[in-house]
Amino acid sequence: MDTVVDIADMRVSRDPQVDLVTYSLGSCIGVAIWDPEVRVGGLLHYMLPQSSISPEKARTNPAMFADTGIPYLFRSAYELGAVKKRLIVKVAGGSSLLDDNGTFNIGKRNYIILRKIFWKNGILIDAEDVGGSISRTVRLEVGTGRVTVKNRGKEIEL
Amino acid sequence: MNRMEEILARVGEIQPLPGTILHLIDVINDPRSSINEIVETIRYDQALTTRMLRICNSAYFGLSREVCSLEEAMRLLGTVKVLQILMAVHTGALLRRGQEGYGLEPGVLWKQSVATALASTLFAERTKPDNTSLTFTAALLHDIGKVVLNSHVTAEFVEIVRRVNEEGASFIEAEQQVLGFSSTEIGALLAEAWKLPETIIRCIRYHRTPGELDPPDVVVDTVYLATCVCMLCGVGLGSDGLCYRADSRVMERYRLKESDLEVIGAQMLVDLKRVESIYTEDMAQPVLVNN
Repeated sequence: MDTVVDIADMRVSRDPQVDLVTYSLGSCIGVAIWDPEVRVGGLLHYMLPQSSISPEKARTNPAMFADTGIPYLFRSAYELGAVKKRLIVKVAGGSSLLDDNGTFNIGKRNYIILRKIFWKNGILIDAEDVGGSISRTVRLEVGTGRVTVKNRGKEIEL
Repeated sequence: MNRMEEILARVGEIQPLPGTILHLIDVINDPRSSINEIVETIRYDQALTTRMLRICNSAYFGLSREVCSLEEAMRLLGTVKVLQILMAVHTGALLRRGQEGYGLEPGVLWKQSVATALASTLFAERTKPDNTSLTFTAALLHDIGKVVLNSHVTAEFVEIVRRVNEEGASFIEAEQQVLGFSSTEIGALLAEAWKLPETIIRCIRYHRTPGELDPPDVVVDTVYLATCVCMLCGVGLGSDGLCYRADSRVMERYRLKESDLEVIGAQMLVDLKRVESIYTEDMAQPVLVNN
């Protein structure tokens, strides 16, 4: 059963029948976390790097920004019994337009801030598929922890 | 008959915009139009009038009492706002079908079109086009070429994608190379056939390549920026992904910074969710009058 994670949205689950799916990541980033022991999974689809551009929007929807969305994702997984040191973390997205010389660089900035937050918190990325100019669909199977990334009908496993 | 003529000959199969909407676009295009003229345009289309009152009374606008006439609705809510929302909801029939050729599920092209229109209104505060409603409508219709080309790109799609992946072509360039024309060109021809205002036609033709216009066109620039923000935010991405060229000169013309894009992207998403809820609410109602 698919549970769709919208743009600027976050879902966690411990139902082994559930797939958490997010469609069409552009410059946005999808972060999938999974604890193999308790089989708790979470998927975040954040859109922008920093909540400082609109603290009010971050209050209503923390999943919109990396700096509020990532803590929100991890906290929600902990509430279902996940433990930080066991979590497997996979990341996808962060695309850019063609020829972008830095003007529209939301994708790169989204990725840089993620690395920074992870580094500060001692979290390692187990696998990633970032950059380029493609749209990505990310799926996390809560029962198995399998993460796939799909683009133009082609699917790869992370 | 060449390929483009062949495709254009089938343009008649595309469900056109309702006549009242086409007329309304003309009225919006004329800066001298008054509220009365707008009301006159809509009044005789009962389905549209009913729909409009329903939208005005929807939770989106949060009015404390029910409005019963078009004049009252426009007076209370403002003409521009009412027309924009009406346009967005009313283009659903044209834009909501799936566009498999571009890898777009049903509803996705409409969502992307509405998002672009909403973002164009936010950018318009900075770029200052003369007519915000016309810019909104142009943004809403920017990708109608995809509706026409959709069924025709399926066969050539592999080659278009190969050129994008291996040769670094943009999606528009690859369409031109493989098909001999692009979705923007076909869209502009469709808009010409529908006799839409020149500004909208120009916008459909150049919204992916604003640098081709000299001097630049403020409406084209505004819609270009709106499409960029929607791609970055991942609204309505299909198989073409973000394979369109960035043009930093457009940003420089209006002294826009990256943070401006982020602020607009965040607001666009909030506005989009509200319009989507209106649409869902509207669709859930029984159709009272057929047109």
